[in-house]
Amino acid sequence: MDLSKYAGLFLAESREHLSGCNQLLLMWEREPANRDAVGGLFRSIHTIKGMGATMGFTGVAELAHRLESLLDAIRQERVTVESGTFQLLFRAVDALGEAVEEAAAGRERAPDPALVAALDRATGQAGATPAGPAPPPRRRATDTPRARSVQVIIRADAVMRGARAVLAVRRAESLGRVGAVRPPLVQLEREEFDGRLAFRIESAATEDELAAAIRTAGEIEAVRFEEPAPVDGTAGGRRQIRVDLNRLDRLMKQVGELVVARSRLGVLAGQSDDPALAELSDRMSRLVSGIQTEVIAARMTPVGDVFERFPRLVRDLSRDLGKRIRFDVEGEEIELDRSILDEIGDPLLHLIRNAADHGIESPEVRERAGKPPEGRILLAAARERNSVVLRVSDDGRGIDRAAVLARARRDDPARGEAEALSDDALLRVIARPGFSTAQAVSGVSGRGVGVDVAMTRVRQLGGTLEIRSDLGKGTTFLIRVPLTLAIVRALLADAGGERYALPLAYVAETVEFDPRAVTALRSREALVVREQVIPTVHLRDLVASRERPAPSRRPTVILEVGERRTALVVDALVGQQDIVVAPFDAPRGMPPYVGGATILADGAPALVLDAAALR
Amino acid sequence: MSHTVLVCDDAIFMRTMISDILAQAGFEVVGEAESGAQAVEKYRSLKPDLVTMDIVMPDMGGIEAVREICKDDPEAKILMCSAMGQQALVVEAIQAGAKDFVVKPFQPSRVLEAVQRVLG
Amino acid sequence: MADSPTLHAVIFRIGALNCAAPAGIVREILPRLDATRIPGVGQAVEGLVNVRGTLLTVLDGHVLLQQPRREEDEGAIIVVEVGGRRYGLGVGQVVDFLEVPAHAVAERAELPGIDPRLVKAVGIRDGAHFIVLDIDALVAPIIGS
Repeated sequence: MDLSKYAGLFLAESREHLSGCNQLLLMWEREPANRDAVGGLFRSIHTIKGMGATMGFTGVAELAHRLESLLDAIRQERVTVESGTFQLLFRAVDALGEAVEEAAAGRERAPDPALVAALDRATGQAGATPAGPAPPPRRRATDTPRARSVQVIIRADAVMRGARAVLAVRRAESLGRVGAVRPPLVQLEREEFDGRLAFRIESAATEDELAAAIRTAGEIEAVRFEEPAPVDGTAGGRRQIRVDLNRLDRLMKQVGELVVARSRLGVLAGQSDDPALAELSDRMSRLVSGIQTEVIAARMTPVGDVFERFPRLVRDLSRDLGKRIRFDVEGEEIELDRSILDEIGDPLLHLIRNAADHGIESPEVRERAGKPPEGRILLAAARERNSVVLRVSDDGRGIDRAAVLARARRDDPARGEAEALSDDALLRVIARPGFSTAQAVSGVSGRGVGVDVAMTRVRQLGGTLEIRSDLGKGTTFLIRVPLTLAIVRALLADAGGERYALPLAYVAETVEFDPRAVTALRSREALVVREQVIPTVHLRDLVASRERPAPSRRPTVILEVGERRTALVVDALVGQQDIVVAPFDAPRGMPPYVGGATILADGAPALVLDAAALR
Repeated sequence: MSHTVLVCDDAIFMRTMISDILAQAGFEVVGEAESGAQAVEKYRSLKPDLVTMDIVMPDMGGIEAVREICKDDPEAKILMCSAMGQQALVVEAIQAGAKDFVVKPFQPSRVLEAVQRVLG
Repeated sequence: MADSPTLHAVIFRIGALNCAAPAGIVREILPRLDATRIPGVGQAVEGLVNVRGTLLTVLDGHVLLQQPRREEDEGAIIVVEVGGRRYGLGVGQVVDFLEVPAHAVAERAELPGIDPRLVKAVGIRDGAHFIVLDIDALVAPIIGS
């Protein structure tokens, strides 16, 4: 049988399991007495072993087997968990991850003999332990029903194996809710059933209890449990399939073009007198909106998918740096477009490394400063209008503005004796490539590369990066990204006869420009809007429009990026439109406030303004 | 105290054979029925610990009898006795509430295993 | 064709200059299109045009070669591919598509009115000179990193 076509699936599922293993190990390590994680670890490794063996990846299977044996010994309390055990388990899970990747890439090799020996030694503790009275098997908390996948194998010599399988299902039903029975009942009634039955059960019973009940159906060869396949666990049990992301990307691109074509059709229909055309255009418009919503929804992925790799990172960093760091995550369920999510991992990585390396102090320093010895890094996601805010905060030493300023002056002697740095100015300085204030340049976040890399990536996504820092108290980085890149609702503004698109995600409101409300804020023109002083930007001046004099009545768009507001004065507002931000090769010297370009409903290109850069 | 059994089959040969197998194993056969209707009636009066039930019987089949009995007593322990090729009917009987089944021709050991399972 | 090398080229006019671009880098020739100006990038960039749903950055050949625009020119955009990226070059008039024997083309020569660094070669056609433009050199100062 040709197994190569299963390699992708093997890799994807193994990665999922391994990532889960890392999570479980971290959880367990935090509370070594709580063994809840062991069962999950065991099952995941067991699954990888089975898949690896099926694929013929003997190296993977062997390593998984050794690891599984150790976990089994721990599970049955034949082996005691010591501090070194976690180190070994982490090492083995890492090695298994590598083995999986290598095997899938066609470079199978035997596992590291040193690691295998270490695993065997750890497992072998069992033999040395005197066979005292067996400890009572640990029962997991049984109060809440858990979903599990069950595999039942009916003995080959049994008669009417299908009916036997039905009995097994009935027995299982006495302990919980059973679903997804495979093969389905109608096939069980026929003779072609091969004796392998699978179903899902939601039950509060332990696996041992379930297995015992199922075995009373008779003629059962084996009962196996697996963590349920990643079927959505929410009520109603929605069915899911895996879709190749590239396919989704292509679909999205086509929908983007459909959206543009729809707008164009709308314009044409508006110019025509044909009511049938207008009606068809309306109908098309609604249909396209529906498709657009669905496709975007299909691309939304919880940020937890990216977050899950960081606990391990912080753990390793804190060990390498000799620091104590607690890492907390919030808002893992917040969803983002997959294409943004794929890009956001790197910036987050840099910021988290920075926080661990430069932010959190050593335990001694912290204690001297009257702080708890254990530092804290928080990674949090939250939804804010049409954008998502990702926050990386630490309770570390904060950024020493005086030192940053001194360093900046040394780099750039022309720099004036500027007053204290505002947060914005601070960010501009530390986000310069290669800037660092680190006393000793540690290998961790290098020469401050973190912030400038993060800044560049976030800007490429149409997002913004902000910083807040209090000396001695900590630093917070805020990344703000749009929910989805592909299609953006935008306000179209005219300046000197040219049209510019403003993503609605950053538009707080529009007001009429009132010259009487003009004031000054730190020697800049500003506008008083509802008793708030907002600095103004005149779009005509900004884009150096040479056309026509400005009209007397000018709408003003209040842009809001985080807490910062800007009043953008334009000549006219010419409507709203769904735009697809299209790529183009930007000429040198393109101003930072140009965030991209798009094609409008009438077919003309228009520039998309970057709200964050309009200030 | 040994378990009491009600044996239901329209063929005397089968009833005899089943009764013999069970009696030798120490069960007490307290009654026999040759139709589904009789089975239901005798179950109510005898309250046996176990029922063996043929599927195909005149005057109310075995499956219908299972349904009737389980309506009164959902915990009734009924062992279906089926011939080869009746898998669909066995499945139906299980859905109706039968707790296990054996397939003719009977092997005494399998019958006893099934009985043990049903009685738990 | 080592024994009789030929140059395939698109011949066009920018102001008073007869120019050629090697056919190998020309992807398409478009009629004049209204471009959306990009602020802040200088006169040499005409702006963005929509080519069947794709955005194309168009450079202004007249500005690049410091040639006056001629009233009678229809205008055209020559789409070239440089370093894997496509750019439009706005020209006055597309004249011809030529196949010239390589010996009719001389390596770089000094010509009046044009920066020699932009000249890849000079050829003669119907008794008049034409300049084979070094498109890479032409767009290099304009295009982003």
